[in-house]
Amino acid sequence: MGIKKKIFIGFAIIAMTAGLYGYQEYTRKNENLSHVKANFQIQVNALIKEFEENEKKANEKFLDKIIAVSGTIRDVIKDDKGYYSIVLGGDNKMSSVRCSMDSIQDDIALLKQGNIIRIKGVCTGFNADELLGSDIILNRCVIQKK
Amino acid sequence: MKKISLILFLIFGTGIFLRAQDKFYTKTGTIFFKCTKSPLEKIEATNRSATCVLDTKTGSLQFAILVKGFEFERALMQEHFNENYMESGKFPRSEFKGQILNNNEINYTKDGIYKTTVKGRLQIHGETKDVETIGTLTLKEGKIIASSGFDILLSDYNIRIPSIVSDKIANKVNITIDCDLELFKGK
Repeated sequence: MGIKKKIFIGFAIIAMTAGLYGYQEYTRKNENLSHVKANFQIQVNALIKEFEENEKKANEKFLDKIIAVSGTIRDVIKDDKGYYSIVLGGDNKMSSVRCSMDSIQDDIALLKQGNIIRIKGVCTGFNADELLGSDIILNRCVIQKK
Repeated sequence: MKKISLILFLIFGTGIFLRAQDKFYTKTGTIFFKCTKSPLEKIEATNRSATCVLDTKTGSLQFAILVKGFEFERALMQEHFNENYMESGKFPRSEFKGQILNNNEINYTKDGIYKTTVKGRLQIHGETKDVETIGTLTLKEGKIIASSGFDILLSDYNIRIPSIVSDKIANKVNITIDCDLELFKGK
């Protein structure tokens, strides 16, 4: 095989690999978090405390990270399109962690207020409102079985 | 003494009660947007954690969302949206504060569908602009469904579209709001 042919084949392989990688990246979906290891394991009260004490510092630590939060269910909300949110309550009635559940979850309807649970999700930030209280929002949440 | 306490309760206690009765809210409102230019590429996302407060007495209406709460079908698009366009690390929230202009035409004690005109200030990407739009309030069994759809221009909010993708991303973004509001029962 001539040197030119070898170079051509080399370039073709690189181009195909790059193309395949590009296509995979382009069509990549958000990962199902069921099998992804959490960056943080934390109790609901401790997480709320970190955000209420110093939102900036807590954002730097938790934003975009996968957090597994343990706590008591204060509310299970189903919207008119069938999507669920689970509210984990802290000691303070006006503070909570709100978990917007991934649509892949099918066992949410069985959950009830007062159940103790661990939920894993991506932290999208902190909302503090004078009237409505403060909430940490987790997206793409899944129930962590163990 | 008891009489005075009772009078004070009637004056202040019921006042607080009535004020709470005027407000409706949600923390699970849906905000959807699309800015698709090319039919081959779907550029749209949904945020299901919008907070909304409506004061039925004054017609004051507020929305707030965390920008990172928008979910796209494709992960790469979501990353670009947050990092390159909305700069959500720098501008984490978007909010609207406004007023229902025809609030006195809405009978909040009677179920029905009421058309509304809403005017206020919309803050996106650190820029605030006046917006006016029409929407509906659907009153049903003690709950209120607030919905609206309107267009904004990305250029109004200092969001730049690189020329390399300008054939795919439209400058005009269509936003749809859908919030199921329930009575705020106080702290």
